Amino acid sequence: MRVFALRESGRLAFGLLGALLLAAAVSALSLPGAHEGVQGFLAAMASRLLAYATFDLGSSAVSGLGAAQELIARGPTTLTFVLQGIVIAAVFGIPPGLLSGAASLRNALAPLGQFVSAVPVFCAALLLAYVANRLLGPALPGTPVALLPRDLAGWSQIVPPALTVGLAGMSAVQVGLRRASVTLEDAPFRQGLGRLGLPEREIERFFVTPVVFAGLLNSLGEVIVALLSATVVAEWVFHCPGIADLFVKSVALRDWNMVALILFLFAATAMIADFAGRIAAHAVAREAA
Amino acid sequence: MSAIFAPSLPRPRRILAIAGWAGLGVVALAVTMSDFLAHAPANELHAGPMLAPPSAQFPFGTDLVGRDLLSETLHALSVTATAGLEAAVVAILAGGFLGYMSAHLPKPAGLVLHWAFAVFAAIPALLLAIVLIGLTSRGISALAAGLAAAPLAFVRAFDRASRAGGARHADYARATGVSASMLLRRDLAYEFRDMFLPIVARAFASVTIILSTLSFLGFGATPPHRDLGLMIGAAWPNYLEAWWTAGFPALTLVILILLARLAAGLDEGERP
Repeated sequence: MRVFALRESGRLAFGLLGALLLAAAVSALSLPGAHEGVQGFLAAMASRLLAYATFDLGSSAVSGLGAAQELIARGPTTLTFVLQGIVIAAVFGIPPGLLSGAASLRNALAPLGQFVSAVPVFCAALLLAYVANRLLGPALPGTPVALLPRDLAGWSQIVPPALTVGLAGMSAVQVGLRRASVTLEDAPFRQGLGRLGLPEREIERFFVTPVVFAGLLNSLGEVIVALLSATVVAEWVFHCPGIADLFVKSVALRDWNMVALILFLFAATAMIADFAGRIAAHAVAREAA
Repeated sequence: MSAIFAPSLPRPRRILAIAGWAGLGVVALAVTMSDFLAHAPANELHAGPMLAPPSAQFPFGTDLVGRDLLSETLHALSVTATAGLEAAVVAILAGGFLGYMSAHLPKPAGLVLHWAFAVFAAIPALLLAIVLIGLTSRGISALAAGLAAAPLAFVRAFDRASRAGGARHADYARATGVSASMLLRRDLAYEFRDMFLPIVARAFASVTIILSTLSFLGFGATPPHRDLGLMIGAAWPNYLEAWWTAGFPALTLVILILLARLAAGLDEGERP
């Protein structure tokens, strides 16, 4: 376990270093000297790296506010969507993912699953906005996004974007579970345990399910990338000023410093989730073995 | 024939893959004949009344400026499919092919490339494509979508090639004096001979999603060459009252992606 954890920690450290270099390269574009040849660009990149080393994240070229201040102001909205998305993805993704491990049910659900998987996130968001408008009435602009709203207006504001993000994560959760359960379908240990007299239910409960969950944890990074990608669309379609919305506006206005920081934040989140998922999956799989 | 389109898939999926390719063939025909099939040329204003609902005369209805949406959807499908094909070629070359080649480079060089691409693969492809367009122009959205989809394809191909490199046949080949370049050519031939069409379909599905989302967000296609994403984006302000303005282009886009997913033999929910 220690060797595995060390190897994964090294992978994470190198990944974060790469993300930092990428952020410095993008952020360097906001400095005047960066456009004067390769040397100028490298100098600008080095100065951004030095600034990051002293936790100087620079400022937004659009608002003039500190970059950290912008991220802190918009972070809660994005975090709310991601957290709600994780809950929705788990609640609606895990049971069908486990059930669809069974071949007959999987075949029955396959056409629906294929169709849903082919719907781009922005089309799903527009459909959800349409349904919410018909059922709950028009959304009230300016309603703050809350993790657990206290009134109907708050829920009608939060449910469509949270569902948009959650449904994108749900597919990734189901795939993770299904991949793991398919590899265990004909695993030799099932037959062996059966011969030892263990009933099928107990084999499923104590030996198969933990390994299937380990498979899901293994693809946690993929789930987080899907959630973050969907957040961009959800914040844009539902006019929620979060970090992902800020990213789109920053690129449009060529505010490269903000773009760089958001890229780093998203990449680091995905890498840390991947790292945590792999470590947890390894631990769960060892425990099950 | 099924062995050509989906060699390694189980029978039910192989049937679906053939159906997917047949559907894509119909789409290719519609794209080739879009100018003939469409009642009106692209972007013809006032072909009918404003926001007319679907009827016998206008099966998909009309939009805010009276454009025939059936004709517009056909023209937009043509733009989407053409750009998607260009982007898929870029994604295959800069992703799958480069990944496979990199796995056969000397180990340090291969690992550095894998590390660099893995960093990009941790960022959602949509965000990468937006940055690439922000750095250049909307005119290169197909190239940007292809490059944005490449890191994930690179990492997958690299890992697959690394596994093949450690396989028994590779050990025997090396032991009997087969050169590294000969082994690479053999592995590449097997990889692309068996998997070429599924790889193309998978890349096409992936980049079509990126391209249409880019256009929807205002970073992709530019008028008058509207693609399906841009059509849906343009319909956004008034689709709550006139659902057909976004509904038909969205359904067309979903069908196009569905056909590509089936052709690629992807699992339900699997990321293309």
